[in-house]
Amino acid sequence: MPAVPRILLVFLPLALLWALVAQVNHEIAGLHVYLYLPGLAVAYAALVLPQREGLAAVILAGLLADATTPVAFGTQTLLLALAHTIVFNARDRVPRDETVARVIVALLANLGLFLVFSFTQIGHLPSPATAWPRLICDLLCSQVFLAVIAPWFFSLQARVLAFSRDHRGTLS
Amino acid sequence: MPKPNERLVQARPFLTLGLVVLGWLIIPTIIKGFIRASFFEFTAPVSVSASYARDLQQYWALRLHSEEQLIEAGRDLSRLNASYSLSVQQNAELQSQVTRLENLLRLPSYPGYRSEPARVVRRDFSGWWQRLEIRKGKNYGIPVGAPVVFTGGVVGRVTEVRAFTAVVELISSPNLRIAAAVEGDNRPISYQGGINPTFGPAKGEIEFVPLDVYASDLLPRRLVTYGLGGVFPPGLLLGTVTKVQPSPDGLFKNGEVKLDPQLSELEEVTVLVPTSPE
Repeated sequence: MPAVPRILLVFLPLALLWALVAQVNHEIAGLHVYLYLPGLAVAYAALVLPQREGLAAVILAGLLADATTPVAFGTQTLLLALAHTIVFNARDRVPRDETVARVIVALLANLGLFLVFSFTQIGHLPSPATAWPRLICDLLCSQVFLAVIAPWFFSLQARVLAFSRDHRGTLS
Repeated sequence: MPKPNERLVQARPFLTLGLVVLGWLIIPTIIKGFIRASFFEFTAPVSVSASYARDLQQYWALRLHSEEQLIEAGRDLSRLNASYSLSVQQNAELQSQVTRLENLLRLPSYPGYRSEPARVVRRDFSGWWQRLEIRKGKNYGIPVGAPVVFTGGVVGRVTEVRAFTAVVELISSPNLRIAAAVEGDNRPISYQGGINPTFGPAKGEIEFVPLDVYASDLLPRRLVTYGLGGVFPPGLLLGTVTKVQPSPDGLFKNGEVKLDPQLSELEEVTVLVPTSPE
């Protein structure tokens, strides 16, 4: 399969993840809880895919997130690209074929991304110190939700890769 | 000790990242703007179709209501219609009085607004921002900066307008500031969205409150828009002031505003589109 359609195929589950999380956030808005899951978008792409494909898909996911949020365009794209590079560089040191290891990597990536993104945004708030209890609560809910849906999402991504018929080559 | 070749292999992902960052910095702003708009429009059909699906779901849920419930609802609606008809007549009478006084005193007239009701497509309430996406955009002539209201008062202000959708920044968002006044007082104060606690009601903050203004949980005061700046018409309800305390400099007071809990569950809002350009 040509590289560009394959990248788009890898990007499709990430777009689906964005849409699902957006709908969940819409429904739970009344509780004042917000789910933030970019770590999940990064983990599989960095642990399983070749660097260029994974990075391209993650950049597309970052652009999608940036386009729908009131942040400087490129902030989340660059954060996701950085997280992808760090995880990709460390992937030979983790048992990346195991789902549990993948979930843990996704949780750590999400934790790092949430904290870094919060530090980039918190300066705009009227009283930054008072924002942390809310942000920590959002982080906890996001991590729990991520741990619950991560196995399903990794399986979905694996199925999409299998659909592109060269899944074996990517794990070499 | 790793060989130089191995080091290069290890550093390769970071070199690629460096190239990506460099490329991003070089791209002109206009192209970034185009990419942003393209991605936003790419997501719009997803949100809009989800919103239509929810409407359909609601329609089928309503179809399950019994005839008796429908008759009751119709009766309630006819009562409401009767009271609104009376309000419309009173409103027309007041409007004619305002026009007469404006002409008599040669006052500049209030800016006119056209009401544009719109369904809420997506709520995006994080600790960093509070926004809504609505199902009307350039196709209905929604301008950036237009005030958005609902039955409980002000919702917020339109910050982005796309082809078929628009984004509204809520008054609970920490990024939104409005000139406000305590009802019955003509001195302007500054309102800003606050930090919205988890599982708690949305709140806002006020600054530069005159020292002779008092409010508490037992004696709440209504906070309304002041009309300064011309974006929001004066007199629209923002929330209820439940707490005021002296500011650190002692010249003014700061306070807390309780916002309408319905803000986080809105399904339909009204955009006030200015009819006469300023």
